[in-house]
Amino acid sequence: MIVCVAVVGHQNNPLYLQSFTEADDALKLHHIVHCSLDVIEERVNNPKKSGPTLNETFLGLLYPTENYKVYGYLTNTKVKFILVTTDLEVRDADVRSFFRRFHAAYVDAVSNPFHVPGKKINSKTFAARVSSIVKTFGSGAA
Amino acid sequence: MIGVGGKIKQYTNVLDKPLSKGRQEVSLSAFAFLFSELVQYNQTQVDNITELERRLEDAGYAVGTRVLELLCHREKGNRRETRLLGILSFVHSTVWKVLFGKVADSLEKGTEHEDEYMISEKELLVNRFISVPKDMGAFNCGAFVAGIVRGVLENAGFPAVVTAHFVPMEGQQRPRTTILIKFADEVLRREAMLG
Repeated sequence: MIVCVAVVGHQNNPLYLQSFTEADDALKLHHIVHCSLDVIEERVNNPKKSGPTLNETFLGLLYPTENYKVYGYLTNTKVKFILVTTDLEVRDADVRSFFRRFHAAYVDAVSNPFHVPGKKINSKTFAARVSSIVKTFGSGAA
Repeated sequence: MIGVGGKIKQYTNVLDKPLSKGRQEVSLSAFAFLFSELVQYNQTQVDNITELERRLEDAGYAVGTRVLELLCHREKGNRRETRLLGILSFVHSTVWKVLFGKVADSLEKGTEHEDEYMISEKELLVNRFISVPKDMGAFNCGAFVAGIVRGVLENAGFPAVVTAHFVPMEGQQRPRTTILIKFADEVLRREAMLG
């Protein structure tokens, strides 16, 4: 079950945070997303020599915490997508395809000429697309 | 149309057919008109040509940021560019291909300074239907394209100052256009560190 998705800009400013639980824990989610930014920085700056090549976009499982798992994805413009989920078995391919669709929705939202880069994403279509992607993610993972 | 599962769907009514994607091109005349309106509108708002050039460049910058996001997503096997030559060849081929339908004519390294690179084009698409009056001096509507390049470079992590210049060529009546890219110090230091 996906708890929340977040988009963080290249100066680590939050651009979008959407939670998919009924509880009103936006602050806790902000905190988890913020902590995961450190892990991303560390992965980007100290690449494992034996690991994947320097410039992969999908960063994989960043770190597991209490009952959440956090996945990261880095685009070419240093914009980061964070996915927080409570699922215990999550297939790698599912997360990758989730991020691919999320990236497509993000590109469409940014291409809007009225969107100011660096400010919060206020597009209703973007929010609707993200919700539909999240719903299909839940049912796709067996 | 091929549906899921490989079955061919037959459409009885032509109205039920999904809209075709169309050719992935925009008509040149539509763009030329739009660009000329853009230049004219900005001309009424400013008093001097440096301001006009700056406004065109800002418009191009906005396009550049969005083009970068879009291209990075569309490219299969996407890798984030960290090297200078990598990002320059990306701009020179991929960005030019998407925007103008062909790769740029040439990419050169400047001889006087370490941090200067030039992308040149015999005739910029945006300048094709524009002739600059004599009293505007060295104004070049290629400032729009310079803005696009600056947008792409800056958002990829390579801050630079990008300008457009006319370079007269012997044997040709119209001068060649050159986009001059001057990278910031931190880019060169980082490049030197990466080895």
